[in-house]
Amino acid sequence: MMPELPVAAYLVVSVVLFSIGLFGALRRRNAIMVLMAIELMLNAVNLNLVAFSRYLPGAVAPGQVFAVFVITVAAAEAAVGLAIVLLLARSRRTADVPDVRDLKG
Amino acid sequence: MSWAWVGFAVLTGAAVFSALRVVLSPSITHAALHLAIVLVAVAGYFLLLQSEFLAVVQVLVYVGAVMTVIIFAIMLSDLPLIRGGAGLRAGLGSERFGWLPLLVACGVGALVLVGYGSVVWTAAPLAFQESLPMLADTTGQGTTGLIGRALFTSYLVPFEVASLLLLAALVGAIVLTRREVAVRVRELPKPVDLRAVARTGRGPAGPKAGDEADAERASAGGEA
Repeated sequence: MMPELPVAAYLVVSVVLFSIGLFGALRRRNAIMVLMAIELMLNAVNLNLVAFSRYLPGAVAPGQVFAVFVITVAAAEAAVGLAIVLLLARSRRTADVPDVRDLKG
Repeated sequence: MSWAWVGFAVLTGAAVFSALRVVLSPSITHAALHLAIVLVAVAGYFLLLQSEFLAVVQVLVYVGAVMTVIIFAIMLSDLPLIRGGAGLRAGLGSERFGWLPLLVACGVGALVLVGYGSVVWTAAPLAFQESLPMLADTTGQGTTGLIGRALFTSYLVPFEVASLLLLAALVGAIVLTRREVAVRVRELPKPVDLRAVARTGRGPAGPKAGDEADAERASAGGEA
């Protein structure tokens, strides 16, 4: 049988992807770019969940089901987030996060 | 060096390179396409982890739906800022925060890595394994049946909540992006009372003072 990779390999990749996503979410001004960076972070989390569901005994069902829920919430977030961005672009002629500061106290 | 390592290395190279392109590319369309590559690579990781159901769901939902929505939003928008080309900055720094995002991201990553390094991975399945039992063997039905069973027994309430969330997101997205179409309801002419016309011999020339009274009398006559 194929030798298994250590779980740490997946965890390190996951950390790298999460850090890149965090960097993008903090750096980008464009709201769609921020949304895409958040998708990156959610995928890193999913990778962690699935890796542990494979390597921890008895964790198969919880890990995979949680990954399914994360995918569900990510899809909903993308749909509503993009709708808000499009609405913003239509009404304000901008898609930049720093330009929308109406709720800032 | 086994084939698992080769596949892992290829996936990691594609994923990390494309992820960097997602956050660094000056073109938003290129960023979206590289995000699709990252999502496919994550599906490949799921296959390496023998989670075939999640790999398929990843491709279907993320690459098939979320990426399509994002690319549609980019392509269908008439705003040059969304469509890219201008206003997106290349390079590692941020124009508002300078090097702070890079520092924060590297700090978080380093913190987690140090945390991993301080853990002794002695639990038998977590250390390097020559072979774990195949998931399909341990669960008897592969991961698909297992996920289905778990979703409808232990996780039934979260499942229903998630479906409600999807419904709310669907309605919300439609309501938000709906264009306000000015529908002018035309003033419809009043329905012609044929019995009144037959009795009085004059057509519905227009609203007159006696119209309501006529109609009332006509209906009363019809009933009698």
